[in-house]
Amino acid sequence: MAKDMTLWWGSGSPPCWRVLIALEEKNLQGYNQKLLSFEKGEHKSKEVMDVNPRGQLPAFKFGDIVINESYGACFFLESKFKSQGTKLIPDCAGSDNNCALIALIMQRVFEGNTLHQKMVDVFMYNRRVPENERHESAFKRLKETLTTELQMWEGHLKKTPGGFLAGENFSMADVIVFPSVALLLRMGLSEDKYPKLAEYYKKLQGRPSVKATWPPTWKETPGQELLKDI
Amino acid sequence: MAKDMTLLWGSGSPPCWRVLIALEEKSLQGYNQKLFSLEKLEHKSKEVLDINPRGQLPTFKHGDNVINESYAACFYLESQFKSQGTKLIPDGPAEQALMYQRMFEGLTFYEKLNVVIYYTFNWFVPEGERHESALKRNKEALVTELRLWESYLQKLGSGSYLAGSSFTLADVVVFPTVGTLFRFGLSPERYPKLGEYYNLLKERPSVKASWPPHWLESPKGLDTLKDI
Repeated sequence: MAKDMTLWWGSGSPPCWRVLIALEEKNLQGYNQKLLSFEKGEHKSKEVMDVNPRGQLPAFKFGDIVINESYGACFFLESKFKSQGTKLIPDCAGSDNNCALIALIMQRVFEGNTLHQKMVDVFMYNRRVPENERHESAFKRLKETLTTELQMWEGHLKKTPGGFLAGENFSMADVIVFPSVALLLRMGLSEDKYPKLAEYYKKLQGRPSVKATWPPTWKETPGQELLKDI
Repeated sequence: MAKDMTLLWGSGSPPCWRVLIALEEKSLQGYNQKLFSLEKLEHKSKEVLDINPRGQLPTFKHGDNVINESYAACFYLESQFKSQGTKLIPDGPAEQALMYQRMFEGLTFYEKLNVVIYYTFNWFVPEGERHESALKRNKEALVTELRLWESYLQKLGSGSYLAGSSFTLADVVVFPTVGTLFRFGLSPERYPKLGEYYNLLKERPSVKASWPPHWLESPKGLDTLKDI
């Protein structure tokens, strides 16, 4: 099973990390993998383009199946390997509690995309926007938007005493969102201003699937301070 | 079942349309609904904010379960009502994987459309921050994206849905974007496969039943995209 899988990935990229965590959680260790460097432009190499015409990572193959969307890969792995490893999305049938849980998990999973986008809008601003198109007003607004978003997640975490995003158990919501939270902290987010996010980060850091997939480049170098004033 | 559901929505909003289609496909007609005007900023009204602190539509409630993300609502409905209406997630691994791939590419597709059609709206980009160079780049990115989707449909052949021979969640979430493209004047001559897909889906009962009311009132549409 795992031997028929190949993942092309980059260190520290939340979309890649989501799939790495999902593979661990579903007991699919033993997959083939290739670590590539974004900095060296390896995500645009022929090897990646052959699997993913968009030239993006993660790129994931399972036999003839190709899924180059991190959410897609995570959902597919949960669906196809439902009965092994951690149950990331409960079954609905016949249980009101489970249905409420699915609703919450799905809500957080997809809000996770918003969180990730808002974070990327800030720290990639100078890389994505040509110099002559940049505006202090725009950058300021993006930072304010990120701040509002982070405060919302602080609020979410205050409401789930279990410590995971959807309550007492680790779920798909954590697979999807934790990597973005980790990147925020890596980029200098203030633990004093965002104590619940910091607590969540520390709690998940200890999880085996997270430890096993911690970005190799993060172990070698210190983080940045880009987001310390957010 | 449907009577315990409430959907707050806006006409022509693709995220809202996704949920409307899903409700029809799962035979959940009879849900409570309220139409809000996005133009009049009614999505920021207290009624919406009370359920969705983000002040966005769609906002969906089923009993005590609140879901304010269109994809989340669609997955939830398929999961809760798996055994009724249309089966929206195929069992076959290849088809299922393709469905997931297209669904999530659908988010990118929607984003690339928005940064073109809403570029000149103040709520999207304030006038002082707009640049011809940016709009040009956004249009080029949209063209690249459109060509990708043309190629996807080309590979599957005439009359197919996005993940193959069956209608799936991929169509539920992506068709509204395609509907919007043609509403804003996309040329079916330049994008014949998308045109064919649009013509196929617009006849589907769930799509007809949920067609944006203001598009019915003024069928003409815009021509923002006619030259791309």
